Amino acid sequence: MFYVQLMDITKLVQKTLTPNEKCIQAIECARILDGKRALRYAAIVINKQEHGVFIFTALRVPCLQPSDLVLESVLPIDGSMRCSAEAPSQQTELRLSLRSPIINVLIEMPKSDPSTLFLAEIKKAKDVYSQVAAFGEPAAIFPWLEKYKRQSTDFNQSSGENPFAEDIFDPLKHMSLDGTNMHVVDTESSRQTTWFQDDMSSLSSSYEHLKPAQKSRSRDSLDKILGGDEDYTDSMETLQWSLGISSGNELPILGKTISSREKIVKKFLTDRELEFTDQHSFRIYCGTWNVNGQSPPDSLHKWMVVEAEPPDIYVVGFQELDLSKEAFIFTDSPKEVEWQKAVKAALHPKAKYLKVKSIRLVGIMLIVYIQAKHKGFIKFIDSDSVPTGIMGIMGNKGGVSIRFTLHNTSLCFVTSHLAAHQDEYERRNQDYKDIMSKTKFKDFSPPLEISEHDIVFWIGDLNYRIDLPIDTVKSYIKKGAHKKLILEDQLYRQLQANSEIFRGFEEGLPNFDPTYKFDSGTDNYDSSEKNRVPAYCDRILWRGPGVKQLRYDSHPQLKISDHKPVSSLFDVGIRVLDDKRFKRVYEDIMKKLDRLENDYLPQIKIDNTELIFKDVKFLESQDQVVTVANVGQIPVEFEFINKLDDQTYCRPWLKATPCKSIIEAGVCCEVRIEVYVDKATAAKLNSGEEKLEDILVLHLTNGKDSFITVSGNYMTSSFGSSIEALIQMHGPIREVPVAELIEIEQPGSLSRVDITKDGGRLYMVPKEIWKMVDFLHKYAMNKDELFQQSGRKSEIPLIRDCLDTGKPEHISESLSVHSVAEAFLVFLESLPQPVIPYEFYTKCLSTSNNLLLSKQLVTSLPGCHKNTFLYICAFLRELLKHSDKNGVDIKFLCSLFGEVMLRPQTPMFTTVSAKDAVVKERRSKLREEESKKAAFMYHFLSNEIEL
Amino acid sequence: MAREYDHLFKLLIIGDSGVGKSSLLLRFADNVFSGTYITTIGVDFKIRTIEVNGERVKLQIWDTAGQERFRTITSTYYRGTHGVLVVYDVCSGESFANVQRWLHEIDQNCDVVNRILVGNKDDDPDRKVVLTQDAQRFAERMQIQLFETSAKENKNVEEMFMAITKLVLESKRKMQEEAKKPAANTIRVGPSSAKQAKKKCC
Repeated sequence: MFYVQLMDITKLVQKTLTPNEKCIQAIECARILDGKRALRYAAIVINKQEHGVFIFTALRVPCLQPSDLVLESVLPIDGSMRCSAEAPSQQTELRLSLRSPIINVLIEMPKSDPSTLFLAEIKKAKDVYSQVAAFGEPAAIFPWLEKYKRQSTDFNQSSGENPFAEDIFDPLKHMSLDGTNMHVVDTESSRQTTWFQDDMSSLSSSYEHLKPAQKSRSRDSLDKILGGDEDYTDSMETLQWSLGISSGNELPILGKTISSREKIVKKFLTDRELEFTDQHSFRIYCGTWNVNGQSPPDSLHKWMVVEAEPPDIYVVGFQELDLSKEAFIFTDSPKEVEWQKAVKAALHPKAKYLKVKSIRLVGIMLIVYIQAKHKGFIKFIDSDSVPTGIMGIMGNKGGVSIRFTLHNTSLCFVTSHLAAHQDEYERRNQDYKDIMSKTKFKDFSPPLEISEHDIVFWIGDLNYRIDLPIDTVKSYIKKGAHKKLILEDQLYRQLQANSEIFRGFEEGLPNFDPTYKFDSGTDNYDSSEKNRVPAYCDRILWRGPGVKQLRYDSHPQLKISDHKPVSSLFDVGIRVLDDKRFKRVYEDIMKKLDRLENDYLPQIKIDNTELIFKDVKFLESQDQVVTVANVGQIPVEFEFINKLDDQTYCRPWLKATPCKSIIEAGVCCEVRIEVYVDKATAAKLNSGEEKLEDILVLHLTNGKDSFITVSGNYMTSSFGSSIEALIQMHGPIREVPVAELIEIEQPGSLSRVDITKDGGRLYMVPKEIWKMVDFLHKYAMNKDELFQQSGRKSEIPLIRDCLDTGKPEHISESLSVHSVAEAFLVFLESLPQPVIPYEFYTKCLSTSNNLLLSKQLVTSLPGCHKNTFLYICAFLRELLKHSDKNGVDIKFLCSLFGEVMLRPQTPMFTTVSAKDAVVKERRSKLREEESKKAAFMYHFLSNEIEL
Repeated sequence: MAREYDHLFKLLIIGDSGVGKSSLLLRFADNVFSGTYITTIGVDFKIRTIEVNGERVKLQIWDTAGQERFRTITSTYYRGTHGVLVVYDVCSGESFANVQRWLHEIDQNCDVVNRILVGNKDDDPDRKVVLTQDAQRFAERMQIQLFETSAKENKNVEEMFMAITKLVLESKRKMQEEAKKPAANTIRVGPSSAKQAKKKCC
């Protein structure tokens, strides 16, 4: 029924929201105002990552439509919101206090699953807020809440200030929740259990805390009250973090994550523990007593001081410490205080002890003390408790555990109170299993379990009975035939049978009378009507290597309870670290890991890192293959990278294919390194300004860089030489000494030429141009498709060599005219300064529509350029005279030679990446330039021009 | 925060070709030595994690090609380096003479960096030509620590790397202190008054 209504409310609230907002949950509750309770609905609403709590009043009950709900208060769940929840004792209500800077809300809701969920959602919302805030995102400002705030009756009545805020009953005002002072509270609030505090950190995501049947527990909470321990437990738990690496096989978390390397180091250290540890004997006292809810007697010495020499560790377990109803609900129990004091007073007088920790679950309590001298060697202290009582949740039965690491050995102590009654041994077994599997030490990730400890001591009222008739039992007791009794003990038999119950645990033979059940205050076994069979209920077991039991006793002198206390003394082998040896092993492990890491770095081998390209010629590509072998363990990604401030990974005449790739381990990749000098790169190589030298940097991702040196010699060529230099060369370029070549390629070299000197005469035009024009003039005038058909690939180098070496002196007539025509165009394109030098380019374009100005411009060109230009024009005009046969027309020649002879210094590219508009603009500009160039040429091809 | 190391430092080994830079690295990182000489053509690195005063320091050590023709390229690898080992061969006077140039190279390419001078191949007294006292005098003049090592015999290698790591650690600490100082001067008023306020309410 309740759920139906809950659903409805959530749906109704949802209908009052905008589509961006979602009502996570709405719940019926009572708001406490002026000390009076009034029906309200509380809802959690989310908008993206921001949460708010909405409180509604109802116009009618039950609410049937959204308009029945009236928004009363709105609270953003942000950093300023304070929440606390309490469960006042003996009430069926949970109290939730929400406090924002503007308003306070105190509501009560039934202790039920929906309420628990509601609390959990609030906690989650707070977590979300703090997470978002922690990531440095702008602090939530909750703009979407504003509209609701204005709607809310709170806002309308009090403009944001709740006039009753001060009057709201708020127990938190009277109560410090500082943690340390939690127990020093006034009577009003002491009747309450604080489930979670402002930071809500203690409200775990599971709802067990709030289930109807509670269990009360305390951890270490009494040190302050008892005094004397001087916060020792605190200092112990902070101490453990500074100890770092030298622990056993477990690693606690606590806000720090462990790197994978750390885990491997741990594993290796654990494997080699024997190399760097020695076994030292520690004496451990274990005592267990079901005290039947009694207060401690004057002294516990008879139980706790069994030998003259003090034990190193005291482990004291109690059951039925507090049988009062209150013990089930309250955090603190006056009995606990008494017994803590009694234990502390009964520690061996010959040594100074410090409390490691204590933990209590209702009546089950475990206290561990250690001699102060071992303080520096104990770490990773943690505890947990598991209730196994009614419904598996009541704390009247169950187990509590404390674990820590002493030197290099992990120890776990458990005390438990298992199910009672002669025939219920299966229940006892189940309780054992539950405690074993549910105990989790949550400081560790993943949480550590009991079974993962080197040594475990399990003490307590295990409640196992002797399956013999009462008379037989009593007669054996009389005879002191303890062995005969234990043979019929339910636990002993299971241990002997190696069953799954207490598997691996050992127990000494009890050479004492059964410790249960006595008439309190006497040594007489149960004389009540029930007439229970005496039994070895109270036991001490252990598991793990190196444990030697020295004593196993009961202490009948202590008569206050219906159980007699039991104690046992052990010598326990603890692995103690040898610093020197540890350091050695540790360093060794680090080195091994480093080596492993190094081995897993990308590794390659390159078969040749020094490539030499001999006699590289213009327009003739050469290549060599470099084999890159992946000799490492992992795939490698390589890439040729730019060096220094270069824009590309190599010079323009060099190319590597592929320049980026991935090679699997054990596989080779062939990289082709190609050298190709074309019109764009020839000039600088010709002039000696640049050499065929480069270093390729082959970079491995996350790895090394390898250098591949590329070098070679370039065969100078007339292609790519300047008109200025060419007209100074009388012989072929190859016959010109390199030094002279460099000299004549220097700017202004022409002005230094002494033309009167022998050999100082200058050609009118480069003889190479003349040779090609001459050839075309002789053989091509009547050839169809001249300058339109491409030449033969193989013939271009022949023409180049002929021009560069002068052998043969003239271009062989056997060559195709189309090849020569193409070579001619390439030659003109390769000129470092075009026939019309760069500086005249724009002027040419602007004068292209004016014959006179164009003529003037040509007149102003440097002599050799002017001559070359006019010479070519004359040749083209000659060609046009035969256009009926060779198929050229003036328009075609104008645009072709316009492109070749009129070049801008920086050519305009239309790149793919450019935007459409840009591309369009560039294209139209290019077309405009092209037509201007053609127009310029037209002046000189259409008329024979006298300059 | 995964705590694999407390500090990560980049070290660079420079010096003439053939003085044993790669051998020093191999000895330190992998504890091996190979008698066969393979010229390093490129820049390689290895890692090693060491503990100095309880702090875990991960070293990424870069080994560079010593050949002259690579010098301009290798200079780009100085970027971000915390410490540089300048290595010479105690059996080669020339390599020692070039140390000055290498030191100059460091000045050109690094702002602040810790340096250490390493005379390697100190395992054959008969072939030793760079005398310890000469090297020491030079080192003192340049205010740089000298280590004579042998990668082959694993002599002084650990100590040398430990020394440079300590230098780097020290300068890091100094820098952190420097960074704190001016801040402390300006902000001091705030926290101290807050402290007083706190005391009052206790």
